[in-house]
Amino acid sequence: MGRKILLVEDDRETASYLAKGLGQEGHTVELATNGQDGLFRATDGTFDLVILDRMLPVLDGISVLRALRAAHIETPVLILSALASVGDRIEGLECGSDDYLVKPFSFAELLARVNALLRRREARIDPAEHRLTVGDLEIDPLSRSVKRAGKKLDLKPREYLLLEYFARNEGRVVTRTMLLEQVWDYHFDPGTNVIDVHVSRLRRKLEEGFEKPLLHTVRGAGYMLAA
Amino acid sequence: MPTTLRIALLAGLLALLSNFAVIGFIYARTHDEAVASLHRQVTEQARVLTDVYRSGGPGALNDAIDDTLQYADPQTAIALIDRDGRQLKGNIAAAPPVQSMQQGYRNAVIRLAGQPSPHTAQIVLTRLPDQHWLMSGRLVGQGVAFRATVERSLLLALAVACLFGLICGVILAHYVARRVGNIAAVANRISARDLTQRVPVSGSGDSFDRLGMQINAMLDRISGLMEELRLLTDTLAHDLRSPVSRLRAAAHAAATTSNPNEQEELLNSVVRNADALIRILTTVLEISRSEALTGRKQFAWFDAGELAAELAEMYDPLAEERNASLQLDEPSRPVPLFGHRQLLAQAISNLLENAIRYGSSGGEIQVRVRNGEGRIAIEVADRGPGIPAERRDEARRRFGRLDSSRSDEGAGLGLALADSIARMHEGELVLSDNAPGLVTTILLPLHGAPAASAA
Repeated sequence: MGRKILLVEDDRETASYLAKGLGQEGHTVELATNGQDGLFRATDGTFDLVILDRMLPVLDGISVLRALRAAHIETPVLILSALASVGDRIEGLECGSDDYLVKPFSFAELLARVNALLRRREARIDPAEHRLTVGDLEIDPLSRSVKRAGKKLDLKPREYLLLEYFARNEGRVVTRTMLLEQVWDYHFDPGTNVIDVHVSRLRRKLEEGFEKPLLHTVRGAGYMLAA
Repeated sequence: MPTTLRIALLAGLLALLSNFAVIGFIYARTHDEAVASLHRQVTEQARVLTDVYRSGGPGALNDAIDDTLQYADPQTAIALIDRDGRQLKGNIAAAPPVQSMQQGYRNAVIRLAGQPSPHTAQIVLTRLPDQHWLMSGRLVGQGVAFRATVERSLLLALAVACLFGLICGVILAHYVARRVGNIAAVANRISARDLTQRVPVSGSGDSFDRLGMQINAMLDRISGLMEELRLLTDTLAHDLRSPVSRLRAAAHAAATTSNPNEQEELLNSVVRNADALIRILTTVLEISRSEALTGRKQFAWFDAGELAAELAEMYDPLAEERNASLQLDEPSRPVPLFGHRQLLAQAISNLLENAIRYGSSGGEIQVRVRNGEGRIAIEVADRGPGIPAERRDEARRRFGRLDSSRSDEGAGLGLALADSIARMHEGELVLSDNAPGLVTTILLPLHGAPAASAA
């Protein structure tokens, strides 16, 4: 299931490290080292994902993104940036990017986000399924009801949102910052383990009384929902 | 100094112009044709008599004087005076000594023969080739005399005005140059890196004083910022030193150990310390940016009560894990707030994290959103050990951490960031006593309900 990814990054060290890592995951990576070249290549629309550095020579990342969207090229774009403040992140997202990752980041974080974006691309091609199932877990997004092995689980609204996000990324690593951004819509970095506490509560509700674990901790990366 | 010269000339010119206007006005109101015609008659009479002397000699002049006095009106005054001052011919009984006078047209007080008292007269004094003096003129009527005096005074006034105008200009220019010079001198010394200089203020409250006071206020702000910056750099360097040295030690140990388990543990420690460093840097950056008021364009209307409720819900499990309960005192009605939702969320979460971290021992943490007296107050109150009143300012400052032995890096920045976000919203962070415990309050001005978003 290798995908075609365009990486627009001017720092050669970062670029080769990312290209190598993504290549090992089975993806094909093309590299552009300045904004203009990146825009030129991205306009052919054959990429599944564009990873775009924000600060680039010739044409900056935000301008590339704006030009792409103006040309109705809807390839998912993940922005990488050293600009870490909340305002910068919001600005990056408002310009039409699908995700925003602050440098420095761990490769696990990048990979998790890349996979989530590629998966979204799939979901866009297939009509959205009405019912999400993970092993013996059944989720009905319309009524927001959750059953495991036929037994109804009582989740709080936020716990449900958390679970639905996990389920939509079934079998993929989801990081803490992804959860904070996607489930809570906050873009700051909490100084505490507040996300972990929520995940462990959800896990307790999902797994109490059942033998098989569903919500796994992935060391050094995040969590994964898998049967 | 060309500027000073220009100011002097300008001031002098303005003084002159206004003087000209006043003098011109007085002249126009008092000028009388009588004065001019008297001047003409007197000059003409003197010229005729002199011509007679030139063409006919002393004898002809004598006859001409007789004729003139016989036929002319009684105002006429003529005298031929020898070099010793004796009158040879004429009707002037008393006059100032000719030796004391100069030739030409002038005013003089004379007494005519047969008259009891002296009068002012306009006369022309001419020295004849035979060394005799010819004094010829007319008595001046009261009105004409007055007007002539006025005109002469005006002329004199004009000359004085010119002089005073110039002097005023010079004084004014000097004054301006001195006041401006003071300010410029301070600016100069500041450029030379002495920020303690202040512009002297005379206390008269004039424009120069206001300028000076504004410059002083600006300098106060700058030196405050400089001091803050210096403190920041000092503490930043200090605070970064420990995670950096831990990181270095762990990396070094990982590179030298042969035990794979130990190596993994050490590498994890490297990552943890690097993350801590990044968090400190990000927060410091966030503080500077919110203080520079960037991001104001992302301001929007939202419900402060709802935001606080959402964050209270988010942090509730964390508080519970620390055996504390998080209670929300929600307002009954929405509290519309115009601001940066993400940044305020971060500020409130910092207050909550601070309360959970240091106040959870007290059991109960309260979150309140209040709206009144033109202000919105978002409050987090704990029952922990609190912060003594004299140390609260310190706690609110960047890196103003109260427990220097604390191991969780960057924690000291939470309240500082909340404060700078509040200030970005024209508000402030207030720390107060919960007796026992600490109340942290983000106080924001109430800008009135959103008019456009009512629909």
